Amino acid sequence: MKGRTAIVGVGRTPYSRARPGERRHTIDELIAWAADLALDHAGMSKTDFDGQGLAVAHAEAAHTVNWAAATAENLGLSPKALLRGDQGGASAAALLIRASAMIEAGIVDRFLVVGADTPLSIPSVAPGLPLSPERTRGVYWDFQGPFGIMGATAQFALAQRRYMEDCGITARQLARIAVTTRDHAVLNPAAIYRKPYTTEDYLASRMLSDPIRLFDCVPMVNGGLAYIVTSAETARSVAARPAYLLGHGEVTNFYAGPRSHPDITRTGFLQTGPEAFAMAGIGPRDVDVFLPYDDYPFVVMLQLEHYGFCGPGAGGHFVETTDLSFAGDLPLSTDGGQLSGGQPGGAIGGFMPLVEAVTQIRGEAEARQVRGAEIALASGFGGISYARNARSCVSIVLGAEGRSQ
Amino acid sequence: MNDTATETPKPEITDQTRPFWEAAREGRLVMQKCAACGTVNFPPKPWCIDCGCRDLPWTTVGPGGTVYSWTISRSVAMNWPGWTGQLPVVMALVDVDGGARTYAQVIDCAPEDIRTGLRLVVTMVPVGEDVFIPKFRPAA
Repeated sequence: MKGRTAIVGVGRTPYSRARPGERRHTIDELIAWAADLALDHAGMSKTDFDGQGLAVAHAEAAHTVNWAAATAENLGLSPKALLRGDQGGASAAALLIRASAMIEAGIVDRFLVVGADTPLSIPSVAPGLPLSPERTRGVYWDFQGPFGIMGATAQFALAQRRYMEDCGITARQLARIAVTTRDHAVLNPAAIYRKPYTTEDYLASRMLSDPIRLFDCVPMVNGGLAYIVTSAETARSVAARPAYLLGHGEVTNFYAGPRSHPDITRTGFLQTGPEAFAMAGIGPRDVDVFLPYDDYPFVVMLQLEHYGFCGPGAGGHFVETTDLSFAGDLPLSTDGGQLSGGQPGGAIGGFMPLVEAVTQIRGEAEARQVRGAEIALASGFGGISYARNARSCVSIVLGAEGRSQ
Repeated sequence: MNDTATETPKPEITDQTRPFWEAAREGRLVMQKCAACGTVNFPPKPWCIDCGCRDLPWTTVGPGGTVYSWTISRSVAMNWPGWTGQLPVVMALVDVDGGARTYAQVIDCAPEDIRTGLRLVVTMVPVGEDVFIPKFRPAA
């Protein structure tokens, strides 16, 4: 599908920490707001999407059956093709692949892809992050929560511990990633946390679930994001600078090693990265800006290795010797990522790498603009398999016009 | 659904998972071992994740196990204040002898004593009426 579809508009609502007194937007309001921004960015209007495609990423706070169809009703759209993303943080990237395939098949010409969530508005019986009913049902939960796993941080901590031990990664090296993304958030008015911090601040932050510290954890926000993907033909007629889909790879439930005892330090990006690079006809050295799904710094470190920016086990040395700033050798999470930018629920944070990739390729990133950004690598990381690591790993290569041929 | 403020979470016991919980009450750790290929499936699966065979007899595993990875939860998360009285909670991924990998709490183990490779033994701990959760403690 190389170069046959392109993203022509993106939208990201302001994020909210839902502090007292702030207007509480519903998920539908945030979806409409993000869609409105994306339509405006693309120079399109709502009426351009009747008889076209609508894709809706699953929202945790929306306990709704037929959620995607209900969203069409609430937006007053009559789509010919309807998709629902159900892969957590990989949904936004996976929906780009599905939508592009349907566009290339000639079923529709364009898709409006939307997602929003309000994790801070889920009713809860006690302060702190709430547990939605969806998280506390079924076999996966029955052998997890009652066994002592209180949340994603403990699950990630178990994967991070093993990875740090196997690969000799230090907390100070992980701090390089956290500090770099915070520096980028300082340059992005849309990021939720913009006060710079140092490696020492990171190391001094409270330990939550060893080896994961407070500054390793993504802050939840309420918010919505959207993008518009269309055929290359339409893209050339509507957008100043479309971001073409040059390569993609996707896997869910990747195993490394025996299924009862897999190596959880090896993720599906080992498979989908090379797939996406091969389709795009590029390698890691050609990437101008790297926008990994980045809810924890070690998840970024794993991807640096698994995408081949450095060898296996060399991620720690790599981040010590590589300038990861927007003006550096490998610009990383230039929007501040989810870590400093905020995560509108695990499922919707996956839009952020795509939105920033398009922003960079269009040259609209202002103070954090990567000079000559033509090739962006973005990823989606969805969920955690029981006692393992990433459940869905999606890789996306986007590029400017000249690189699509 | 139990009282999350004062209790730790309980599983919902179904026809699919009842053999596990009944064995736990008797002090045995059981997992589904595929009749066709021998792969041990955990948590319970509808067919073998390796070969697709639906004949998955519950088989006693352990009682020994080895720490594959570990963490120490120092505060409660996701609205489970019922764990507060047990903080810090030592958690591990445990490779059960003859079985598969499981999440497990490690008890009678100081946070500074947990390490990858540590040998453990399972023990069934009651967490409410008739519900026993497999936990592990360091092997003697």
